[in-house]
Amino acid sequence: MIPFRLIAADLRRHLPGALMIVLLIAAATGLGVAVTLQERALRLGSARAADRFDLVVGAAASETQLVLSSVFLQPSPLPLMPGDVLAKLAADPRAAWVAPVGFGDNFEGYPVVGSATAFITDGGRSAPSEGRSFERMSEAVIGSAVPMPLGALVKPQHGAAGEGGHTHTEFAYTVVGRMAPTGTPWDRAILVPVEGVWRIHGLGHSHEDGDDHDGSDHDHDQDGAPDHAAADHDHEADGHEADGHDAHAADFDAPLSHWDADGPGVPAIIVKARSIADAYRMRQDYRHAPTLAVFPAEVLTRLYATLGDARRVLTLVALGTEALVAASVMLVTVVHLGQRRRELGALRALGASRGVIFGLVWSEILSLIGAGVALGFGIGYVGARLVSGVLESQSGIHLPVVFEPEDLGFALMLLGIAAVIAAVPALLAFRQPPAAALRS
Amino acid sequence: MPDLVVEALRVSFPGLAAPVLDVPALTVRAGERVAITGPSGSGKSTLVNMLTGLDRPKTGRILWDGTDLATLGEGGRDRWRAGHVGLVMQDFHLFPGLDAFENVLLPARLGRLHVPADLKERARALIARVGLPRPEQAIETLSRGEMQRVAVARALLNRPGILVADEPTASLDAEAGQVVADLLVELAAAEGATLIAVTHDERLAARADRRIALKAGRIVADGPVLPDAAEVRP
Repeated sequence: MIPFRLIAADLRRHLPGALMIVLLIAAATGLGVAVTLQERALRLGSARAADRFDLVVGAAASETQLVLSSVFLQPSPLPLMPGDVLAKLAADPRAAWVAPVGFGDNFEGYPVVGSATAFITDGGRSAPSEGRSFERMSEAVIGSAVPMPLGALVKPQHGAAGEGGHTHTEFAYTVVGRMAPTGTPWDRAILVPVEGVWRIHGLGHSHEDGDDHDGSDHDHDQDGAPDHAAADHDHEADGHEADGHDAHAADFDAPLSHWDADGPGVPAIIVKARSIADAYRMRQDYRHAPTLAVFPAEVLTRLYATLGDARRVLTLVALGTEALVAASVMLVTVVHLGQRRRELGALRALGASRGVIFGLVWSEILSLIGAGVALGFGIGYVGARLVSGVLESQSGIHLPVVFEPEDLGFALMLLGIAAVIAAVPALLAFRQPPAAALRS
Repeated sequence: MPDLVVEALRVSFPGLAAPVLDVPALTVRAGERVAITGPSGSGKSTLVNMLTGLDRPKTGRILWDGTDLATLGEGGRDRWRAGHVGLVMQDFHLFPGLDAFENVLLPARLGRLHVPADLKERARALIARVGLPRPEQAIETLSRGEMQRVAVARALLNRPGILVADEPTASLDAEAGQVVADLLVELAAAEGATLIAVTHDERLAARADRRIALKAGRIVADGPVLPDAAEVRP
């Protein structure tokens, strides 16, 4: 009934103006969509990154800092827990596996994180995508995003990534495996046995348990190692290599052992509980000083609440922009309608009913707004992808930009408002007496 | 073909002492060709608006073949006009962006989603009849005379019983005006439509069967056009 050719012809005639309106609407819509998508990406991405981390135990300090450091590998000076916590947790029957997290070094900008095989293999349930997990102190497993081949040497540099610092030239890890991508900051990490980190930093020297751990001198299998190893090694002082470090280097090649109660302290421990009930009980047991036990998901939820507030503010800004755009679109269409009065009157004279006139004006405006909203969703998506890309490259957290059913609701709401707005000039046109419109 | 009977038609505007139109009685036979003349402000446009149902009188009756436009609502008059009236206006009111063919076809598109093939055929035939070689020619590239000829073809598309022309030649030069005047008279006759032409143009008025002169809203002269009137003013 509505002659759509007329709409097309009118839009073609006013192409620059029509494009302007579409772009205005697209920009306003894109802003709102990008805010929503980005906030969702941060939420989803961080939640997925925290998936592996049932329970994180650290020294009594800031919960948020603990989660940011352990889950997201944000460098920060976390206090250390007493050494016995790790041994106690490792012996806890409620824990499926336990892995310490020790930070401090980096290699070519990639954080070198001390941990344990259990973390890499998820307690034996998975294997590295390439190679194998580390078995000796001198071996390393790299995250999927670390551009190194297996067999490469990692000489850790002291300090967090980007901070600089001296190189532990006398110690080198050999890359023996690569983890599957996880979409977390751990993809950019070089995982080494925590014992290696201790050793490099002159900790973990007191192993008196006579296990096969501390192969002294050049004899790996010797038991009853004397506590000679790292304590006397002043790694802070030397920038040179080789001389006098043979013993350490050999020592460094030792196989891994269990953790002792009198081992060095670690800043954080990841605990995989056997059951949810176990997780809750363990959190209860370890949430008193000197330790702190948190569910990262819980801490993230609190962070999301803050994030949600920020999103609400941004969404309000976006909605305000949309309202301004809506007002200007209404203004433009009413002005345009004034210019079209005679044309619409002529249509009436040619036999168009008022319904056709209403439909003509209404669908033309709605098609402009519809195009703008569609384009805006595209712009918002691309914008969120770009921002996600930048954030991903900085944080290593995969930030998935995805639409959800509620976005359709948002689009329909925008179109619904547009339908009402478009009805205003359409009604004006509807009510216009044709004879008056024709008068020149 | 409808006869027109106007009874006690009176149109006043608030603030004006005298009515702008006051026609106690007027009858036009179906198929008649009537020229309505008069100075500007004499009520010609108001009369056209009333006769085509673009406006509705508060008093009086306008009966086209028994249908009283004064009793029809806005929608009713729209439907009646779409079915019975072809309108040619001084400013053509063609729609830029559509070619000649689509402009002629526009009245058909206003009423339905799908335009039947025979109407498209008729549109082409009418365009050829008014002397336009290319139906797909863009409106903007036509001369004013050609534009008005397209408008004439458009007015006739739905085979209206009534062809109303409001100063159809006033914005054309003499030559183009002559062509349009000829087309209106000839096509109205060929289609069997009643022609009501409001005009200053003697050449058009002279080709009518009957001339009605308006002044200050009243009919001051009504009579047959003399056969040699066309020669009065060359």
